[in-house]
Order: sequence, then structure tokens, then C-alpha cells
Amino acid sequence: MIVAAVSSAARSCLVGLLIVIAWCLAPASAGAQGYVPQDIPRSGNLEISVGAGWLPGSDLGTASADETRNPGTGTGPFVLFQADTRTESAPSLHGRFGVYLSRSVSAEGGALFSRPDLATRLTGDAESAPELTATETLTRVVVDGSVLFHFTGASFGGGRGIPFVSAGGGYLRDLHEKNEVAETGHELHFGGGFHYWFGQGKHRAGVRADVGVSRRSGGADAIDTARTIPTLAGSFAYLF
Amino acid sequence: MRPVAAIALAVAIAVTYQAPAFAYLKLGTRVGTRTVTLKWSQLPIRYFITDRGTAGVTSTQLQQAVQAAFATWDGAATAEVSSQFVGFTLTNPTSGDGATTIGFQNRPDLDRTLGATSFMIDTVSGAIVESDIFFNTAFPWSVSAQGETGFFDLQSIAVHEIGHLHGLAHSAMGETELRAGGRRVLAAEAVMFPVAFASGTTLGRTLKADDLAGIGDIYPATSYTRGTGSISGKVTKGGKGVLGAHVVAFDLRLHTLVGGFSLSDDGSFVIAGLSPGPHVVRVEPLDDGDIESFFDATLNVDINFRPQFYEKTVVVPEGGGTSGVELKVVAK
Repeated sequence: MIVAAVSSAARSCLVGLLIVIAWCLAPASAGAQGYVPQDIPRSGNLEISVGAGWLPGSDLGTASADETRNPGTGTGPFVLFQADTRTESAPSLHGRFGVYLSRSVSAEGGALFSRPDLATRLTGDAESAPELTATETLTRVVVDGSVLFHFTGASFGGGRGIPFVSAGGGYLRDLHEKNEVAETGHELHFGGGFHYWFGQGKHRAGVRADVGVSRRSGGADAIDTARTIPTLAGSFAYLF
Repeated sequence: MRPVAAIALAVAIAVTYQAPAFAYLKLGTRVGTRTVTLKWSQLPIRYFITDRGTAGVTSTQLQQAVQAAFATWDGAATAEVSSQFVGFTLTNPTSGDGATTIGFQNRPDLDRTLGATSFMIDTVSGAIVESDIFFNTAFPWSVSAQGETGFFDLQSIAVHEIGHLHGLAHSAMGETELRAGGRRVLAAEAVMFPVAFASGTTLGRTLKADDLAGIGDIYPATSYTRGTGSISGKVTKGGKGVLGAHVVAFDLRLHTLVGGFSLSDDGSFVIAGLSPGPHVVRVEPLDDGDIESFFDATLNVDINFRPQFYEKTVVVPEGGGTSGVELKVVAK
């Protein structure tokens, strides 16, 4: 059984995130800010956001349908066929509701919905059964909570853009095709991104970008013990 | 004692025609108008050992090997079965004496049969009342823990025959090739595969997932049915049902293989005893052994089709079943 490793895409996301964090921690020039400081989200502000993202596929490893070989007919197990399984990439929809605990810290809860395919490529059949990819479509919901730290001192775009880092965890629920079986699991995530607010005043709209990694265990694709996938999303946000 | 009728079987034969689509190939018998699964109604299964050894194996070693073989089935987590060695006897393992007896017999006329199991059945209830096993001394035997080159492992063959004694028929979970003089096993993933491994190996001592599913189907442990599930459906060719197709479910998480058969003219099959989770389903013709090792010779078993996979991953629920799997095969 092959343990899912962090993919190269996930590593790229991690590197990008570290660069963002380093940039956020670097001293900022106060003179660059044109945004009215008191309009920065503060304790008590609420934020809702809706958006879409892209969940990359993940390789869930190769399983060999082995039979015990009769000694003297060869070495190693007799492979009846091989099965390579992966979760295919899929778009996702998400929504979040957050509350600012201070100018730098907010907490939020969210939900994500997607319908990835679970695909198993069947090859190498010992009796020449035609190769085939067996699939099913999952309905995946993730409900999570996160804490965000906003680097108000590293704002950009005249103070409208505010980068952040986030971390949290959630509950994962996969419903199999035909709605007969549901499988649950958990996820932990770490990432970052930025808000970019338009307008001024307590009520304003903006956009939000998120990038990160999600470590998931359980769920329908728990063919392996756990897997780490990169995440990428964009949202429309409203602050009030 | 209620009247009984003797049914002697040289090898396990399943009565399947118009029988319910069982999850695993089990032995059955006609009781009136219905087919009943052969099983012991009372446990532990009490047995005697014929007090006669053969070259290289004493009667005591025979008893120890048989006891170990029984313990293998008694220890199956999927089932609740038990056995009890009563004592040695001077009688041969023959039907009709009222006692389940296991021993050696010289049967040079059966030059391709290592062992065989016979039954006495209560024709009213279908319960097994006696079952006898003989091991053919026309072959060389060994009880060595590591196996002995040129000798057949007694415990391995005993595990297979005691599977029959419990009511299991043959499994088709294996691959063979035709050679001069008969079939050679390339691989098997069930001790109940009808053709034995080469002499010198002890691999047949260990039950596989297919065996565990079978014994659990006949004598289910309390938690077995609740914790497992099933896949059911049909095998069809040109819109018509295929009888005798071997359908296998491969567990993508546990990497185990459990098989079943389409047991009716409409091609219906059920594979039970499956762990919850995603499975791949594959169907193949029954061409790795003599059909008579599995089904009555009068049945119209179709082997003219190509093996193939089902196009969808099938998810087995815990304590339930997934239905509607249709495997549409094509002729070779």
C-alpha cells in the first residue's frame, strides 16, 4: 500500500505561502498606505463570502489483485489484475461566514461542495479482460472552521489589500453514487491569501483569494490512510 | 432416529438449479420442493479418527493434523463453528455407520483424488448427520511444518476436505493451465479451489478471504452479518442471463478477493461477506477447472464469454447490499 505523499503541486503551494508569509513579516512602509486606517476590519465586523475553487485530483495508489502462486510455477504472487485509483480534480463551491475578533484576528466557519469522480484504472488482467476505468461520482461536503491572522501592517494596493494566513479543521462527508453509502472523515488545513476591499465605510464588498493545503483522512477516497492536497479558491466577500 | 438417506459425493457438488442466488457456492440438497443448504444443526462437530497411519504418518500425526485443520475453521472470525475429537476407531471412513470418521484409505482407482468427503443427510431437515473424509494413501503424505518435497501436506488437504465437511463447495478463485495429463494450478486464492497446489507446500493451511466469506455465509458469527455487506446483480450476454459465471469482488482497501456465481438462468448473483467500502467487480467464465467440480453436469453452464470488469466502482454498505450491478459479457 502506497502512502499518499504531498504532491509537487502542494509543495509549490507551500513555497508560495511561505513567500507570502515572509513578505507579510517584512517591515512595511507606512507611507504606502492610502486606505483610511479606521476602515480596516475591526472587532465585531462580520464577513460573508461565496466563491468557487478547484480541487486537484490525488493519486490514491495502486492495488494489486494477487493470488497465491503455486510454488514451481513462478516467483512472487500471481497478479490477476492491477487497480490504480485516483480522485479526479473537480470544481468546488464554497461559502464562509466570519467574525473579526480584532483587527488582526478573525474566526470563520465554512462549507465546501464538490463532485469529484473516484476513478480506478484496471489493467494487466491475467486473462486479458479489456482495460477499463471504473468510476463513480462522489458528492463531497466539507464543513470547517478556521482562524485567520491578518497582516494589516503589510497591506498593499493603497491599503485595500490585506494578506492573511489561516489554519483550521473540519468534517468531511462523502456520499457515494446512488446515495446509498456515506463516508465521513476529517481534514486539517493551512493556508493563506488576501482580501481586497472596494469602497469605504463599514459595509463594503471585496474579493478574496485563498491558497493552501488540506490534509484529509477518512472519506470515500480513504483507500490510503491520509492524503494531502493543495487547494485554490476565489470568492466574493462582503463585510458588514 | 428420523429416516435418513445417504448421498455419497466423491467431490463436492453443488445443487444449484433453481436455487436461491447464494453469496458463495455451498452444498445443497433437495428437501421436498426446495433446496436446502447442507449444514450441521448441532455443534460441536464430533469426529473419530481411523487408527491407521500410512508411510511417514502415524495415526497420532493424522489426528494432530486433522485437529489443526479443524481449528483453522473453528478460528474463523466470520463464523461460529466448533469441533471435537472423540477418539480413535478401527472403522474406515465410510458412510452409514452413524459416526463422522476421518482416516486413510488406499484408493489407487482414484489416481487423481487426494481426498474426498461424503455425507449422510437428514432428508426431512437437510441437516448433515454424518460426514466422512478419506485421504488416499496412493499418494505420499507428510505432516512436516515446512512441507516436504515430493509429499502432499496432510494438513492442507485436511483443511480443504473439512471445508466440504462444513458444507462448502468448491471455489473458483484460482487460475490453471492445461498441460499433458490434466490441469496445473498456477495460483489460487481460496483453500476451497478444487485443484491442489504442488506437493511439498503448506500454503493450503491458511484460509483466504473467499473461504472466510463462505464459512461465514453458512454459520455466520453474530457480528459478521452486521459488519459486512453484499453486491448483487446479473450477468447477461446478448440480453439473456448467463448461468455459472464466476463473479469476483476485489476490495480496493483490503486488497482481498471474494467470489460468487450466477446461480440461475436469469444470470442473478450475490456476493456476500464483503467488507464495507469500494470494490471492483470482475466476471469470468468457469474455465479454470472441470465444470463438474462446481455444478451438476446437467446444468447449462455458459463458458463462452470473455472476462471483463464492471464499468463502475461498487460501494458496499455496512450491514446492507448494493444491487443492480449488470455485467454484460460478450462471446469469445
